[in-house]
Amino acid sequence: MTKATVQTKKTQGWKRSRRRENFASFVLLLPYLILMMMFAVFPVLYAFGLSFFDTIDYVFWGLTNYRAALDDYRLLPAIKNVLSFVTIWITLMVIGVTVLSLFLDTLKERTATIIRTVYYIPGAIASSAVVVLWLFLLEPQVSPFNFIFDLVGWENRQHTFQGLGDAWIFSLMSFVAHSGGWIVVFGGALASLPGEVLEAARIDGANRFQIAMRIKLPLIYRTVVLMTILSVSTGLQIFVEPHLIGLAGDEFVREDWSVTQLSFFYAFNFGDFGIAAAMSVLSLILPFLFAFTLIFATKFYKID
Amino acid sequence: MRIPLFIRRYTPGQFVIHAVLAFALVIYGLPLLWLFIASTRTESSMYSDPPLMLGSWHALKQAWDNLAGYNDFQMLVWAKNSIIYTLGSVSLTLASCIPAGYVLAIAKVPGRRFILIMTLVAMITPSQAIVLPIFLEMTLLGLVNTYFGLIIASAFFPFGVYLSYIYFTTSMPLSVIESARIDGCGHFKTFFRIALPMSKPLIALVSFFSFVNNWNNYFLAFVLISDDSKLNLPVGLTALLSSTGAINPRTASNIPIGLQEAILAAIIVVLPIILIFLASQKHVRSGLNAGAEKG
Repeated sequence: MTKATVQTKKTQGWKRSRRRENFASFVLLLPYLILMMMFAVFPVLYAFGLSFFDTIDYVFWGLTNYRAALDDYRLLPAIKNVLSFVTIWITLMVIGVTVLSLFLDTLKERTATIIRTVYYIPGAIASSAVVVLWLFLLEPQVSPFNFIFDLVGWENRQHTFQGLGDAWIFSLMSFVAHSGGWIVVFGGALASLPGEVLEAARIDGANRFQIAMRIKLPLIYRTVVLMTILSVSTGLQIFVEPHLIGLAGDEFVREDWSVTQLSFFYAFNFGDFGIAAAMSVLSLILPFLFAFTLIFATKFYKID
Repeated sequence: MRIPLFIRRYTPGQFVIHAVLAFALVIYGLPLLWLFIASTRTESSMYSDPPLMLGSWHALKQAWDNLAGYNDFQMLVWAKNSIIYTLGSVSLTLASCIPAGYVLAIAKVPGRRFILIMTLVAMITPSQAIVLPIFLEMTLLGLVNTYFGLIIASAFFPFGVYLSYIYFTTSMPLSVIESARIDGCGHFKTFFRIALPMSKPLIALVSFFSFVNNWNNYFLAFVLISDDSKLNLPVGLTALLSSTGAINPRTASNIPIGLQEAILAAIIVVLPIILIFLASQKHVRSGLNAGAEKG
């Protein structure tokens, strides 16, 4: 056997084991890859395809669904509703989460942890039950917050809804549900600040307010940006809150308050999957844009 | 008289901080506290007495009986469904996420970077945005209104894969894995004999987030399941309330499902999560810090 053939055999053996390794990796990945194909890749492609068809007679009709979706007279008010909700909610989140996190950071760690846990619980139970709970909270006759309603003179749920407006009500619901998780994340970010920096600032005579504004805030700024982008992305898809408040009675029913609701209206009430698909394709553009920005233009997520 | 040190040091700034944090505690905590208190009070007591007054054991028992009387205790069927959906999805999630995270962290498979990017895109995109496309797909596959359909659709959990990936790249001592590989262990053996037994904290974390997501799952379940007997608790709760008009003051019905029963039903939905959360909050905190999921 010449040297060359030994070499080839070695390479072959190496290649074989390499192939076997790849095969093993692939088998371990397979269940996840199947789920990803089924519930991420395929549904998006399928909705995209469907959006070009008349789904009642199954004929190709190009952009007609998109035109119909964009021409719907309910779309503009729905977009306005969603935008006002997102604006109010994000403002509440940025101010509320930042202020509460900075304030918590001045407490002893043990106390702060207990308080963070209480803040987080409403987020862990966020389901239809929480919207139901809110319908009670917004009813001045039974609400534990009736002391606030007494101050402004609201006597029933309708007063509350008229007084606050839908966008504010959904913003408050979403704030209580989503801020707690972020307060925990901010707590982690603040805890990782280097102690020497804070100590040096204190020695230089910076007071608590200056430390918060000039040192802590710039250091957690990235987390604020991340929260804002992710929240805008989620907020644009609002469905459950406007969908469920109708449980309180006919005068509260909002069937086409948000864009997502409108696309479901087409799918369920008209059985027109084409227009529904076109609307959901359109509403996927922004979330995808946000996702790619976060992955490629920032360093929030680790991919290497 | 000497003023104690902690009072002398109590500045107006500190007072503002404590007042704001306490007010926030009321906003976050009071609703749940009220929910549990209100379940012991009759409807008339809710309207006439102060909101945080405790009711009676008897009133709670009565509400429970009324709820049990509704369609042969349909809440129980929904609770059973919720357990089936949740256990099914959590198991599938674990079986798919943990090995996938391991491979993405340890092995140099072709397409690794692409899979990671897809995972992140799926994780960052709000799940609500994809519910309608999933509904269209499930209609095509004929899996609408089946246990299996909702279970596999909810088992896809990219956040779990990302958490596993982070765990295996940061918390797992690479030397252990490498020495096993040098000893001739393939990926299978290394994963099942070495990596998996060392990932208990990871399994706890992924299980918790997946459990919470599935137990609370309203939107996807609402869209995929229409058969009353197959609903989960969150959708069942709203079905109960809309069919009885329990919290709509205008409906007059002789079904004894009113405010108190609605509250009790809501408690049945949220109580398991609260208990599990309190039992596992340390893990949760570390998980939230490891990777921020969608807002």
